[in-house]
Amino acid sequence: MIIAERKPLPEIVDKVKRYRKILNIGCGGCVSICLAGGQKEALELNVELAEAFGLQDVPIQLDTLTIERQCNPNFFEPLDQVAREYECLLTMACGAGVQFVAERYQEIPVFPAVNTVFVGVDRDLGWYEENCRTCGECMLGETGGVCPVTRCSKSLFNGPCGGTRFDGACEVATDIPCAWFEIHRRLKLQGRLEEITKIRPARDWENQTVRHLIQPSCQKRYLK
Amino acid sequence: MVVDPAGAVNREQVKQILERNQAKMKYYLSHCAHCALCAESCFLYQAHDRDPQYMPAYKVIHSVGELYRKKDKVDRALLLRIKRIVWKNCALCQRCYCPMGVSVPSMIAFARMVCRSQGVYPQGDAEGEPESWL
Repeated sequence: MIIAERKPLPEIVDKVKRYRKILNIGCGGCVSICLAGGQKEALELNVELAEAFGLQDVPIQLDTLTIERQCNPNFFEPLDQVAREYECLLTMACGAGVQFVAERYQEIPVFPAVNTVFVGVDRDLGWYEENCRTCGECMLGETGGVCPVTRCSKSLFNGPCGGTRFDGACEVATDIPCAWFEIHRRLKLQGRLEEITKIRPARDWENQTVRHLIQPSCQKRYLK
Repeated sequence: MVVDPAGAVNREQVKQILERNQAKMKYYLSHCAHCALCAESCFLYQAHDRDPQYMPAYKVIHSVGELYRKKDKVDRALLLRIKRIVWKNCALCQRCYCPMGVSVPSMIAFARMVCRSQGVYPQGDAEGEPESWL
């Protein structure tokens, strides 16, 4: 799941302070689940913004609307009905959602209210951990289910680097576990330690360009 | 718009939302042939041992259908029942297929919008069901 965190209030205020009619758009997808940008968080942000503008004696119309996904055009109908009544749009969605909104209403300034921080897992309610950099070349099958791109401080495809501490921490910092230490432990546990000696070719940094994916089952629909 | 989640339902507001979308929603409701083909395409229905409550048709009839049946008598108890159907029983994955062209996802999204307008929506652990609603 995509994980996001709310931007600091002063940063948001700075972006929207010149506008008098602002619509804050919550998203019912990932950012709702990670407690960053759902309806509840959008309402809370509006209370904070109203207070900030109130302190400056600035009359302002501040509304909120939450749609189910800001990354899918099928859920934009409620927003289409009202978006153009506002001077600017503030969105609580991830970066993908913000860009989708900005593309749809190109004449209206659109500002993000959250920072999209990573793709991760739920350790507990409100506690998330990064586990995937979406590199596009998954090698978890060879590394015991531990991603070295995400969890190795140096993102080494071929490790370990030799900088592992005795307690399994990384040489970079004592509070960072060495990913390759954990990979070694898991592969040994599974009786396939020989996998660690495989040399993996340097990865193709294809995620430096915009990626598109059409699943094989949908190719007839989109590819002529 | 700040809504008190425990407060009374603003029936006038609900009625306005329902009327604004009435043509499309009633068209969809009236075109459901109860053929159950949508159920076959719902992964939640399959994953819950074909529990009828997970059939897309069931979900829209017992959410949007109920809203239009009650219309100006919608109360919080109904919205809470609908909340369970449209959030817990539906992931809005949009895979559901309808040979009649009924857009189940847009109906579920509409039911969610009505609930949201009255402050009824999943709120983390507030209901003792942390994250279990998606």
